[in-house]
Amino acid sequence: MATNVQFALSDSSGCEGVTVVTISGELTSASIDEITAFFSSIVEDHPPYIIAEMSNVSSFSSSALGSFMGSRQRFVEREGDLVFAGLTLDLKSKLSLLGAHKIFQVFPDVRSALVAYTYEKKGHSQMVTLSFPSQLRYVPSIRQMISRIALQKGYSSRDAFRIETIVDEVCNNAVEHGAQSSEHNIDLSVGIDSKKIEIKVINLSNPEKIEALKELASTVSSEAVSDMANKRGRGLALIKMLSNDLTIDISNGGTSVHVVRRKGD
Amino acid sequence: MSTTALRQTLTLCFPSDLGYIPAMRKFVADVLTAHNFSSRYIYRSEIIVDEVCHNAVMYGSKSIEAEIVLIMHLTEDTVEFFVQDEGGSARDVQQLKSAVEKPRLETMSPGDGKIGLEIVKMFAEELDFAVGEDNLTSVRIVRKRDISEAK
Amino acid sequence: MESQIELEIEEIKGYSTARLVKFVGDLDATNVEFVLEKVVNLQNEGFVNIVADFKKLRYVNSTGLGVLLHFNKAAKEKSGSFKIANVNENVYEIIEIIGATSLLEIYDDLTEAIDSLAV
Repeated sequence: MATNVQFALSDSSGCEGVTVVTISGELTSASIDEITAFFSSIVEDHPPYIIAEMSNVSSFSSSALGSFMGSRQRFVEREGDLVFAGLTLDLKSKLSLLGAHKIFQVFPDVRSALVAYTYEKKGHSQMVTLSFPSQLRYVPSIRQMISRIALQKGYSSRDAFRIETIVDEVCNNAVEHGAQSSEHNIDLSVGIDSKKIEIKVINLSNPEKIEALKELASTVSSEAVSDMANKRGRGLALIKMLSNDLTIDISNGGTSVHVVRRKGD
Repeated sequence: MSTTALRQTLTLCFPSDLGYIPAMRKFVADVLTAHNFSSRYIYRSEIIVDEVCHNAVMYGSKSIEAEIVLIMHLTEDTVEFFVQDEGGSARDVQQLKSAVEKPRLETMSPGDGKIGLEIVKMFAEELDFAVGEDNLTSVRIVRKRDISEAK
Repeated sequence: MESQIELEIEEIKGYSTARLVKFVGDLDATNVEFVLEKVVNLQNEGFVNIVADFKKLRYVNSTGLGVLLHFNKAAKEKSGSFKIANVNENVYEIIEIIGATSLLEIYDDLTEAIDSLAV
């Protein structure tokens, strides 16, 4: 029985390990054999992470879904997956009723699926940067933003809290001990991947505080017990305790604090 | 507190990924809270940032490395937002440009396209679209603090 | 990566085909699918009358509104209803702007919304 379902291999934007398949038409019980045959034809010779682009699929029956599940299993066995992209709201709703969401990841479009793939499977880091005026009033917003990002990238709430504390202390130090200049902002960059988060803050140095800061930084770096009565010392000591790596560079031109924290440590 | 007129700029750059938008809009809301804007102003600004960034992700560059830049220029009673992205296909850029430049619909129905942008037009005093070199697209939105807005 | 939303589902006394769904948090593009799954499942399990309590729903964008309209449409197709109560003024304004106030059943408070089930 002729069906109107069509499969086409598409450009995967050069993403190694990924095959993009554009599917169109009606996925019904009549198309089960075609679905299985198509995926069988690509399972050996194509990268096993399959993104099925479905924006031109008009219907999706439970039996067709079963066929996709069987095909997916073959890719999973090859350390791949089969995910959906571009489903209409009606189809998402239907698949949800069939319990498909428990098995298949669904993305708004192919690009979102590729971004998720490179983050989760390839360990790519994603970067958020912020340039902000040297004022304490911005720090709560900043630390909460970074905490939210960490949580939503799968870090535990405990991890997210520690990250929030690191961001808070680093930014507070930059504001309190850096140069106060309306022309120079503080630059924060956060690189996050599935294994760690890297936080870097760069600010203009306050010439009057450089020597004191250098002394403090060397104390923290040398692992000597810092003077916990010293407010500045406490902050840096806290950052050091919460992080896996802490590097501080202080010069007349600027101060840079670089913190690395591994996920789950 | 400084007695000089407030004029500050924050520049945020993040991956072009829908998942980042909630954190970004909440950041904008928190910054505006810190500047004592009213809750209504803050909510509307959050919606604007959400909708414009959403468009930038959906219709901007398809590169998986693509980023979005969100700039906030703050004064005592005005916030100027810029949302910049590397631009999508010529067709997508032109569609977005047309949608921004079209006069605001007087009445809307949920079946209308680009509802998000119409909401932005309702809330923004100024809304502009520009395409620069290398297809860099920029949506500019200005919102003024309403004197009658009480927190 | 999702914005935080929770749905608290409760029975409504005296109405076996109805469920109360309390929305807590923000409803946007990153979590509509989670919400879609929960409510559509309820509707398909026979709870064709849904009363949505928005008292703790802080934020809705155009994507979130699209899903609410979908629930409304799905309910009508099943001869049921999708009622909304306790909408805050910010969320109501967005619903109003897109012209959805005439499409969605919106009540000032929960009691009113539940009482309307009897009609």
